[in-house]
Amino acid sequence: MDAHWPRPPAATRRTVLVLCAALLAAAGCTDPDRPAPAPKAGLRAFRYSMDQAPTSLDPTQAANVYANTVILNVYDTLYAYQYLARPYALKPNLAAGFPDVSADGLTYRIRLKPGVHFIDDPCFPGGRGREVVAEDFVYSLKRQFDPANQPQGAWFWSGRIAGLDEWKAAGANYDQPVEGLRALDRHTLEIRLTRPYPQLVDTLTSGYSAIVPREAAEFYGPRLGVRPVGSGPFRLVSYDTSRVVLDRNPGFRQEPVDLAAEGFNPATQAHTGVAAIAGRSPPFVDRLEIDFIPEASAAWTSFTKGDEIQFTALPVEQADRVLASREPVALLPEYADRFHFAAGSEAGFVFTSFNMDFPEFGYHPDPERQRRNRALRCAIIKAYDWKANNASWYFGLARVFPGIIVPASPEFDPTLDAGSVTRDVEGARRLLADHGWTAENLPVLTVGATAGVTSRLYFEQFRAWLGEIGYPPEKIVRKTYANFGNLSRAWKRSELPLVSKGWGLDYPDAENTLQLFYGPNSSPGSNDANYRNPAYDALYEQTSVMLPSPERTARYRQMNQMVIDDCVAITGLSRTRIYLWHRDVIAVPDREIVGGFWLKFVDLVPQAGAPGG
Amino acid sequence: MNATALPLPAPRRDSLGARAVRQFRRDRTGMVALAVVLGYLAAAAGVWFGWWATDWGALTGTKWEPASAAHWFGTNIIGQDIFARAIYSTSVAFEVGLVVALAATALGAALGAAAGYFAGSWLDEVLLWFMGVLEAIPFYLFVAAVAFALQDSPWAMQVGMIATFWIGTARLVRGEVMKLRGIEYVEAARAIGLPSPVIIARHVLPNTTHILLVQASIAFVGAIKTEVILSFLGIGIRDGVSWGLMIEESTKEVLAGFYNNFLAASLLMFGLVMAFNTFADALQDALDPRKVG
Repeated sequence: MDAHWPRPPAATRRTVLVLCAALLAAAGCTDPDRPAPAPKAGLRAFRYSMDQAPTSLDPTQAANVYANTVILNVYDTLYAYQYLARPYALKPNLAAGFPDVSADGLTYRIRLKPGVHFIDDPCFPGGRGREVVAEDFVYSLKRQFDPANQPQGAWFWSGRIAGLDEWKAAGANYDQPVEGLRALDRHTLEIRLTRPYPQLVDTLTSGYSAIVPREAAEFYGPRLGVRPVGSGPFRLVSYDTSRVVLDRNPGFRQEPVDLAAEGFNPATQAHTGVAAIAGRSPPFVDRLEIDFIPEASAAWTSFTKGDEIQFTALPVEQADRVLASREPVALLPEYADRFHFAAGSEAGFVFTSFNMDFPEFGYHPDPERQRRNRALRCAIIKAYDWKANNASWYFGLARVFPGIIVPASPEFDPTLDAGSVTRDVEGARRLLADHGWTAENLPVLTVGATAGVTSRLYFEQFRAWLGEIGYPPEKIVRKTYANFGNLSRAWKRSELPLVSKGWGLDYPDAENTLQLFYGPNSSPGSNDANYRNPAYDALYEQTSVMLPSPERTARYRQMNQMVIDDCVAITGLSRTRIYLWHRDVIAVPDREIVGGFWLKFVDLVPQAGAPGG
Repeated sequence: MNATALPLPAPRRDSLGARAVRQFRRDRTGMVALAVVLGYLAAAAGVWFGWWATDWGALTGTKWEPASAAHWFGTNIIGQDIFARAIYSTSVAFEVGLVVALAATALGAALGAAAGYFAGSWLDEVLLWFMGVLEAIPFYLFVAAVAFALQDSPWAMQVGMIATFWIGTARLVRGEVMKLRGIEYVEAARAIGLPSPVIIARHVLPNTTHILLVQASIAFVGAIKTEVILSFLGIGIRDGVSWGLMIEESTKEVLAGFYNNFLAASLLMFGLVMAFNTFADALQDALDPRKVG
């Protein structure tokens, strides 16, 4: 006998319906302090996803791909990378053209495009955004040297622009001029260098070089990190730890896309439909919604639902269900029918460096102990199983390579001996024994990690490998941090003996990874390893003024070998990223190099019945 | 017909404890549950003595191997043996359960007895207020706050649980002691001048044993379940492995169609919690004077 609930009387049903409607309405309400208005009918929104949230949208904090993704879409930079050209190629962005460089390579003159305006904002008189002028760039770069901002990008230009470090030392007074950084007129900028800097123009594509109006920095103070005011293709609508919403900047300059100038390659890119944006001015979508979803499985569920996020990276655990083959990467038909995909090696790498300032592992006043420490580091490197690491976390498709010159750099050496990335448990045991290391005298090794299941398993894997060379598991300790920002701060403060991180190239030049081990860049700079090798530093300084040449490449490789020989880092691996996006999205996604610069070119296939469709 | 009067045997004067044991042994379900719990205890003891599951952290296989003779429950994403981890987790469950049950019951007994013996005094008022305050704080928020405050302590979770689990025991003991303190033998002890702490320890608390045993068993199960939830949320076991951490690991694996971690941890936890609950019910029945009498 079937059992039925008795049907409630009509009045009760109406009451329930009204209550349900009220509850639904309440659930849809948003915090008035963080307004994220629902998309209007017909609004063309692209819903992107990232695995972490930026901690600040202030260009002084553009230290990672998450911040850069947003910053490069709300602010302008003088230069950018061509949307479709690979290898990456520069193009003028807010600059009217490439700089005029003096014969000695020390003076750069850059013209800015006239008539570009910041967005309207209460920080400006009358709330109307004013024109972007050369003085704004001067001010923005000074901010990177103002200790009050706790900037993270000064290392790009420190010691290179005449007078900028002195300006900082003199108290960072914005009204004081800097000898090597001047606005010659409203639209002409002059940068004078202390020595040639071949990567200067590349640095002017990064979020660190984004142009901030002084009015906004003074009006909002520290709140500039959540209230960006720029002249980029989008303007901020809302920003919290779960998502950022940007709307199209209606005043963004009209610059029709020239596909050839963007490096379009019909043979490899035509299938994405990107040819449809030719001759039109970006941005093409009305709204950009970027959801921060740390759990890859949650992002995957949202992506495959079809009506939520439209872009995601393929989670490792889904590979067997989604891929028809790994080499070459191909989707199973049921996924290929629904999604576009792209697979490629990242322009960067993951690596773990030893903090040489920890006397237990690094530099030690006693030369004998320092020699033993090197043996200990080398043994740990030999214990590391890159093959298993690749299989567990990177589809088995990542590229493992020795040293710190990544495969995406033109100076990469594919013939370099792979000994430093080949597991050798017996060799590691022998090394420890030969240098007097025993289970009793091995130092405690504290490994910093963010909370979460992946980082815990990563740690357990590492501990197990070290266990196999005789490192007692109880001496390998995990210290957890609530989020990546806190962990990153601990690294910057030199609080941990190991630093495990990913580094994405800021520009396609090995100098960008070699500087990670340059002595003067020690903590809190980018040299988290605090590696200080005079011979390495001398070579770095020599090459830093050289234009690309076989001679420079040879010296780069010499430095690379020093890092390998000194056992400073467990390195490295370039991940193969597999991205998927919905078929109604027209895009060639790429978060490499500076991240996010491509989002203004995203378009959506017009839907039948929709405006323009 | 002559009737011969036979002498009746003297009635047996068993203690309450002996009658409770007899009553418990008659409860088949309770006995089965006890056997299951003892089986789990044996598994945990083997870990403590280093007889098995010592390689729970070792990489003994490759990624996501299916169940086999070498790996009874298969392996996880980094090649660890799931069976070894599940068995090791049994010992973690017992450690957490025993520590929390013993500490929370002892604390609840002491404070509940003090409050009950001095009912109506300022001490009773303060303790009742304190219990009310702790109960007013949402449990998981409270434990998260304790875990945050004791960030580097491996005992943070246990401290959080003990700090809240004692309250139920204390309230029950308080009520029982309020009854007991008016009974003649307690009044007699007071009359001969025994100090209050001695009266409570020697003459009052032993008569609350039936409450304490049942409360301890409830706390034990509660602690195991709570550990699983807290570990899943990332504020439980810091280093090592537990059923909660295994279930947390499985969140990625289930979507990939690999269920071994989830099933191993869930079924083992379910078995222990079910068995202990059944055992606790049987124990409660056996210790209930109305039923035993």
